[in-house]
Formats: sequence, structure tokens, C-alpha cells
Amino acid sequence: MSKRIDVHHVTRVEGHGNIVVEVSDGQLKECRFDVVETPRFFEAMLRGRPYTEASHITSRICGICATGHATASLRASEKALGVQPSLQTQLLRKLTFHGEILDSHILHVYMLVAPDFLGVGSVIPLASSHPEVVLRALRMKKLSGDICAIVTGRHTHPIAMAVGGFTHFPKRSELVELRQRLVDSRLDVDATVELFASLPWPQFERDTEYVSLSKPDEYAFIDGDIVTSDGVRVPAEDYHQVTNEYLVPYSSAKFTKNKRESLMVGALARFNNNYAQLHPKAKDAAATLGMKPKVTNTYLNSAAQVVEIVHCTEDAISVIDQLLEQGVRPEPLAPVQKMPGQGVGVCEVPRGLLIHDYAIGEDGKMTGANCIIPTNQNIGNLQADFRARVPQITNRPLDEMRLDLEMLVRAYDPCISCSVHVLEVAFE
Amino acid sequence: MSELSPTEPITTLVLGFGNPLWGDDGAGIEAVNMLAEKQIPDGVRIEPAGLPGFGLAAWLEDTRLSSLRRLVLVDAARMGLEPGVWRRFTPEEVRLIARGGIVSLHEADLSSGLALSQALGLLPEEVLFYAVEPGSLEDGPELSPEVRDALPEMVEELLLELQNGRGKHDKQEDFDH
Repeated sequence: MSKRIDVHHVTRVEGHGNIVVEVSDGQLKECRFDVVETPRFFEAMLRGRPYTEASHITSRICGICATGHATASLRASEKALGVQPSLQTQLLRKLTFHGEILDSHILHVYMLVAPDFLGVGSVIPLASSHPEVVLRALRMKKLSGDICAIVTGRHTHPIAMAVGGFTHFPKRSELVELRQRLVDSRLDVDATVELFASLPWPQFERDTEYVSLSKPDEYAFIDGDIVTSDGVRVPAEDYHQVTNEYLVPYSSAKFTKNKRESLMVGALARFNNNYAQLHPKAKDAAATLGMKPKVTNTYLNSAAQVVEIVHCTEDAISVIDQLLEQGVRPEPLAPVQKMPGQGVGVCEVPRGLLIHDYAIGEDGKMTGANCIIPTNQNIGNLQADFRARVPQITNRPLDEMRLDLEMLVRAYDPCISCSVHVLEVAFE
Repeated sequence: MSELSPTEPITTLVLGFGNPLWGDDGAGIEAVNMLAEKQIPDGVRIEPAGLPGFGLAAWLEDTRLSSLRRLVLVDAARMGLEPGVWRRFTPEEVRLIARGGIVSLHEADLSSGLALSQALGLLPEEVLFYAVEPGSLEDGPELSPEVRDALPEMVEELLLELQNGRGKHDKQEDFDH
């Protein structure tokens, strides 16, 4: 008997994201995941532009990880030009970065993951059946967006972030208010942990190579070495050693692999590699969720996001405390020390390791750019998960099988269609 | 971006949608940026909203918008018209084609955001679209000539409506007073 499942088909104006699974006699015959590699044209668009524009352009690669792209971009330029950002700059970046991680994780776990478990199909009926759950998510999302807006001047696509620092500084009163709202949000955060701890996560174990940044002194989101759960550690500049990109005929995206056939980046990889540096409350949340490294159940990537919601809330409070203690002062951008130059900026965006590799010419114009986004690194792993998962569930009805595989894809929250969001309208 | 003091109630929210680096997909953003340069009546807040998806509901849930009467959504829309042709319409006049079973937050589009807002009872009494048919959706920051030429007229019409309170909003105010 042959079952063909188009787990997903996204019709788009340009390109498409397809996940096709074909099962015959309990065997997986075909498993294909096509994505369009969005950043390719950005790389071309950057060439010949002043380095000062790069973060504003690349922040448009993604409407969700705009701050992540901007930060990776700024770090690439700063490393290329020998710019050393101040402690205040580092703290402000960390704070807004937490805001973006919170924003993305909250939306993902509540809008996409929770409806699967609550048996409502999507968040729209969930809003009718469990409005308090959805309103909680919106409340939390609002706060995280406000963090970004207060620090960078806009909810998405930061305005005030520049090479060498900031062009706008939050007021003390704004930080005090944010801090209070974050403290108050602990109730919502606790309720979030409780909700997701009560969900029946699918049982599925498949060990892989978990790849993330790592820093000696903190749970890494900005800068650090690239480490893997198979014991590899390389400086960011040597990312090629880990993200060996290769092409497959059916996809315009580049795949990556390192020690094994595939690797995984994202919240679960960070959790596995950097668990020791999580905030104690985040470790408590992990215990409530029944998670201790090494977690090898891909579905629990979303649970690891819940753990990071706790961590980022608590760490945002500590960062604000540091900023309040030292006082936020307007300061000039840290100076450029050399030109031309070449530099690699790395960040852990919500979906995993993001790399921007820039070359800047002697006139300050970009001569080359390479952006490696998390989804590309994860595609190979997603396919390996599919190959392992399908034989375990072929006896289930087609609908259940489809839902299970969709949940597996959703666990990665792949970045497959950031490009064109033109409204589709038919006149009645 | 307009910063309003909390004492000034916002009665109309104008949101521009799209990505300005994907050709005419950025038409909504360009239109609200043009609009923001004009003399805007009190109580109107204008924001380039990017691609908020479900986040649209968060915009509307904002307590500072509790006085909101009217939501204007400015976007590029595939309406089956010639590139550069623009239309003003209400949600009742059209069928918005929402994506089914999405696997990624990146796919949550304006229709999803509207449906979620509606399910939560967050939509104001009047929702309006100003939409322009895109020509080119190629990579790059430039609008197609058709859309670029169409925007001034659409923005002028929208401004007139904001100034004169044309439509349902006006009638509703008559009932209120």
C-alpha cells in the first residue's frame, strides 16, 4: 500500500516550500523538503553598498529575527574593521536580543505548537476555545516587542543599532518600567511552563550532532566559539569546518553536515550544549518539563524554547539591573580601527546559529558577504528525523501521520517563506 | 514613527504591510511613509508594520488603543487587476485567502493576523483596506513604475478619508453624539 503525504505545500508568489513524504509498504520511499534560500540575493544586494547600510538591509531578511540578522551583521563589520563596542553597547544589544528571542519563542510555542496538542487545529479556533491562553501569549509578545522598541526604536527592524554602538538610548524611566513589567510577567512565564509541561509530547529519540555557540561566562546568544555535542570547538571564523555546505539537486538551499550525516541547531542544541549556564529558574523549568541534557527528542525543541523564555526573562531583568546600576549615557560610536577588513559575526537567533561573513573594501564598501541561516543547517537533520520517524508511525491513519510529521516540522519552525507576503484577495 | 502621549486617544490606526526589499511587496510600507509626511488629523496613528502575521493581534490588544474605532490596512494585494490599480474595500466585500495548516511562523500572513484578531474580538468596528495590485515582486528595493505612479493618488484618497471621516466611521459617530 502506498501513501503519499504532502505534509505541506506552500503556494507562494515566488518559489515554494514543499515537504513531500511517500511511504510504500511501511517503507519511506521519498522524503523531500525544498526551501528557497532567501539570503542569496541579499548577499548580492550588499556588494558595493557602504558597510553602514548592511545591518539595515540584512535585518529585512527576516521579519522575525530582524534583530538577530542586524546583530550578526554589526558583529561581522565590527570584527572586519577592528571596532570594539563598549560594555554599555554589549548590554543594550543583549537586552534587545532577549526581547527578540522572547517574541519569537512565545509566538511559536503558543501560535503553532500549542494548537497541535490542544486538539484545535490552529490558533484561530484556540482563540475561541481558550482565549485566556492566546491573550496571555499576546501580552507576553507585547512586552518582548516593547523591549526591542525601547532599546532600538522599533519593534522589528531596529533603527538605533549601528556599527560601534547605538544612535539612541533608552531613558532610565523606560528601563525601570520595563523591569517592572518583566517582573510582573513572571506569572505568565510560570503559567507557560505549566501549560507546556502538561502536554503529551511525542516519544521519539534520535541522537544527532547539536551545534551552537558557546561562551565561557554566559549562555551564548551573541559571539562565542562554535561547539558541537560531538566535542568539536572552533572559533567563529572557522565556521566552514562545521557548516560544510553541500548542494542537493532538488533544493535551492544549501545543506550542512559535520561529523554525522546531519546536524541540528536551535533552542535544543543550545540547551544541550550550554545547559550549565542557564538561569537557575530556567533549570527549574527544564526539570518541570522533564528535560535534562542531552535531550534527543526533536519535538522537545519547542520545550527548550519554553526553557529559554524563562532564561531570557530572568536575564533581561539582570541586564536592566546592570544598565540601571551603571547608568545609560549617550556615547559616540566606537571608532573604526582598520579598513579594509574581513570579519565573521555569529549569533544564536531563535532558530539557531546565524553566521554573517563580510569583506569590506578600503572605501568602506562591501566587497563580499555570506549569510548562513539556521534553517539551511537544519534541513538535513529534518530529513533524517523523517526517515527515522516514518517507520514508527506507518500503522497510524493518514491524518494522524500527517499531523505527527507536521508537528515534527513545526518543532524546527523552519524559515521557509520570509520573502513575499502579498495579500491574496478575491472580490465577492 | 508617531509617538503619541497616552492622553491622546487613538481612534484610527493605519498600518502599512510588506517587505520593502521585495519590489512591490513594499508598497504598503512606502504608502504609509508617504502618508506620515502629510498633515495628519488628531487621533490617527500611522505605523509601518512590516510582516506582523499573528502579531497584528498584539498591535490591536495594545491597551492604549482601547479607543480605536477604525483600522486601515495598507498593503500590496493580488486582486486580479492590472499592476498599479488600487482599491479601497472592507473585509465584507472580499474573500481573503488565508493559508491553511502552516508549519512556520514565517507563513503567518495578514489574513491569519486578521482572523486571530477577529476570534479574540480585537477588531474595531470599522476595518478598511487600501490595496494596490503589485507588478514586480523581484528581489530589490525598487517599486515598479506602475505601483510607484499609483501610490500618490491612493495616499491622497486615504488622507481625504482620514480628514473627512468618510464611510461607516462617520455614521457611527453621528449615532454616538
